[in-house]
Amino acid sequence: MVVYNFKKIAAVPTAGDMVDIVLTRTQRKTPTVVHPGYKISRIRSFYMRKVKFTQQTIQERLGGIVEDFPRLNDIHPFYADLMNILYDRDHYKLALGQINTAKGLIDSLARDYIRLLKYGDSLYRCKQLKRAALGRMCTIIKRQKAAFAYLEEVRKHLSRLPALDPHTRTLLVTGYPNVGKSSFMNKVTRANVDVQPYAFTTKSLFVGHMDHRYLRWQVIDTPGILDHPLEQRNTIEMQSVTALAHLQCAVLYFIDISEQCGFTVAQQVGLFKSIKPLFANKQLVIVVNKVDQQPFETLDPEKKAMVEELGKSSNCELMTMSNVTEEGVMDVKSRACDKLLQARVDQRVVGKKVNDVMNRLQVFQPQARDGEVREAFIPDSVREAKARGEIGSKDHKPKMGRGGYAVTTDDVNGDVNMERRKTERDIMWEMGGPGVYSMDYRKNYLLNNDDYKFDVIPEIMDGKNIADFVDPDIELKLAALEEEEDARIAEKEAAGMGEEEESDLDSDEEAAVKAIREKKAILRQKKQDNRKNTAVMPRSVRGRKKDKHDNAMLDKNNVKKTLESLGVEADGIVERGRERGRKRSRKDADEDGMDVEPVDTSGMSNKELKRHKREEKSKERRSVSIARSHSKVREPSQQGLKDDAMKKVATKKDMLSKRRFEGMSGEGDQRKTVHLVKWMNTGKKRNGTHNKR
Amino acid sequence: MATRCQYESSNEIGVFSALTNSYALAAIGGSENFYSVLEAELADHIPVIHTSIGGVRLVGNLTVGNRRGLLVPSTTTDQELQHLRNSLPDGVVIQRVEERLSALGNCVACNDHVALVHTDLDRETEDIIADVLGVEVFRQTVAGNALVGSYCKFTNQGGMVHPRTSMEDIEELSSLLQVPLVAGTINRGSDVLGGGLIVNDWCAFTGMDTTSTEINVVESIFKLQDQGADTIVNDMRASLIDQLS
Repeated sequence: MVVYNFKKIAAVPTAGDMVDIVLTRTQRKTPTVVHPGYKISRIRSFYMRKVKFTQQTIQERLGGIVEDFPRLNDIHPFYADLMNILYDRDHYKLALGQINTAKGLIDSLARDYIRLLKYGDSLYRCKQLKRAALGRMCTIIKRQKAAFAYLEEVRKHLSRLPALDPHTRTLLVTGYPNVGKSSFMNKVTRANVDVQPYAFTTKSLFVGHMDHRYLRWQVIDTPGILDHPLEQRNTIEMQSVTALAHLQCAVLYFIDISEQCGFTVAQQVGLFKSIKPLFANKQLVIVVNKVDQQPFETLDPEKKAMVEELGKSSNCELMTMSNVTEEGVMDVKSRACDKLLQARVDQRVVGKKVNDVMNRLQVFQPQARDGEVREAFIPDSVREAKARGEIGSKDHKPKMGRGGYAVTTDDVNGDVNMERRKTERDIMWEMGGPGVYSMDYRKNYLLNNDDYKFDVIPEIMDGKNIADFVDPDIELKLAALEEEEDARIAEKEAAGMGEEEESDLDSDEEAAVKAIREKKAILRQKKQDNRKNTAVMPRSVRGRKKDKHDNAMLDKNNVKKTLESLGVEADGIVERGRERGRKRSRKDADEDGMDVEPVDTSGMSNKELKRHKREEKSKERRSVSIARSHSKVREPSQQGLKDDAMKKVATKKDMLSKRRFEGMSGEGDQRKTVHLVKWMNTGKKRNGTHNKR
Repeated sequence: MATRCQYESSNEIGVFSALTNSYALAAIGGSENFYSVLEAELADHIPVIHTSIGGVRLVGNLTVGNRRGLLVPSTTTDQELQHLRNSLPDGVVIQRVEERLSALGNCVACNDHVALVHTDLDRETEDIIADVLGVEVFRQTVAGNALVGSYCKFTNQGGMVHPRTSMEDIEELSSLLQVPLVAGTINRGSDVLGGGLIVNDWCAFTGMDTTSTEINVVESIFKLQDQGADTIVNDMRASLIDQLS
């Protein structure tokens, strides 16, 4: 269902404001710097952008206005008619139409000028074109001054219309002025409508809400209407007529039989008859009001007959009521509501929709599946409270008794109603409020002995979780165990009469065993004590001299000394230790390798000599490469390059890339050069006399 | 009597609390407001217990119980278990359940005689439910939802089910549970009845959003006032039709 909320329409600025908004926005959101030296295409696009942007902003703004305002053809006829009466349909449509036209004009104007800008041949001309375009757009906007002003007024008024839902359950109060419509409204709702003893106090529709039969009802108070032809009715009356004509509602037609309103009963009956067509298809109740002033029974028979005749002819009921004594007010309300509800339900039952909710309208009673009785369980204390009427009766009020959850003055002063139980919330406020007070949950424990309540129970004891050992039967089990133990002890005593077991060792052996065990224990303890919490030193460092004062254990001399003290020949060992870890040198390899015997070249022919020489040479070359046991490391800059050719290419490319740009400086050139200010860099100067500021 | 309340401005009070005929559980919160709503109504008759389950506030979602017992999930800590044991009356058995579906409150709906359970619940858990809570157990769905604890709520006197349950299903459920049933909503149209409503045989609490129509349905179907369940059929029919269709 459509929800009508006219409060969301954005405010409409005046024409002048609109121009300001658009132009400042253009200024803020588009580039502002352009130079005659720029390429002409760049200058053109600079100004084209400005024109286009302005046009878009206007489009957005005007489009927003046209979109925001409700379209009369799309909204509920009640609202459409109401707006027609209040704002004049033609005027409204015209204003929106003008705005829309202005939008179109500005579009085509912008298009034209953008086209012209394409032919602008200098900055000056482009600028003039832009100025013309923006100027003309602003003129178009300014011409809509009246439309803007009117729409703003309409917006303000619309946003103040009552939030009236045309589809919901509605009671509509109508009748001559001053017959007690607004008073009735004040009685049944909390709308607080102004009530004054003169006609046309209510000048527009008012909406109030009330509850009846668990539902929310809308009550509409309308301005009074007079009995004259439709054409002569004024705006105020027409609002009532519109509401009557378009809303599905129950109508309460008020008749003031005391005639204090200044209109005779005959006149009021006449009005009823003349607006009767508006009551078609509505639930109608004729309310005979102000019976405290003029009881209906003692009314002039002629008038009484007239009123009764009215009820009969229109096939609706008469109800008497007085706002002053409140006699009949609730009856009128509930009667009207019930009538409308009945009509609405009848209408819905015919349709299909009601089948979908049938499961919610019906209580499904169980069919007994066995003989078992499944009773409710209500504690006796609750039953007693029920009997006293504290629970379950209709007038039972929740014990909270304070609105909402916010802190009240009672909370702060600690002035607690003693009839109520003192709740945790009261205590909380006494003790400083939420966040400060925290309840000790142990105080509500149900234990055998109340002294146990606040006992501290450890969670972990001797490395064990206490809860793992909690057992409801622990006392029983303990008792059983103790009993068993006692029994066993008794059994043993009976059997052996306290004799000890014999050992098969004699006293000397026993002493030795004891000594050994003790020694073992001591050793174990010593070993444990020696263990330090330090890092393990690597072998290569361990025992080496750290500085000249350090008496390193594995130092050459120390080793020698130690070994000699032990009577071991140390030289060889020390030598070996020193050499350990040293790399094999080429010299060693040569020494180890075979000696090549020189070949005798004396008896060789020239050819053989040459060949021999070549072989020797290649052998020499190869021997070098063989001797190199690992590959040669390249310079880092040449790593990853295959050969010299590749290296050459790379070097050249590198050089080229480092060469600086030396062409003409154009507008695509983003280089920043040092800005040399002429007056700072020419002429005579001394320190401190020239300052760029 | 049904009372509207909120747990720290959440209307899903059934998530944060649980109510049975012999005790009520309430989550530990930032203030005592919600607890005191329960306390004021109930503390004269049954204990209202502050607790968390495994350090989590979702007491209503995670536990299930009736007047005979309380089942808590395996996440419950030893201290919480001890606290619950100390706070609960002697007649109530408390049992920790090793169950994959640890949100027991969502998966099980029960009164003092019958329980509906999630279709995927373990056999062992089913046995535990039957033993500890002393109920007949049925594996059922409500309106195609396996989370029976969330989508239906019943006591020994009546029950409500998901608003989209078909009439045949409600009839079947009603015969199974042996209580009168009606389809309905809570919290202004929410179908998560277990979330918005806690109820026992004499008292109910609903979320703050609950409309007066919904409250009245609750009061009459759970027989919380002198009126019977027939109110829905007689007095409220017109209002319900007008509001729902």
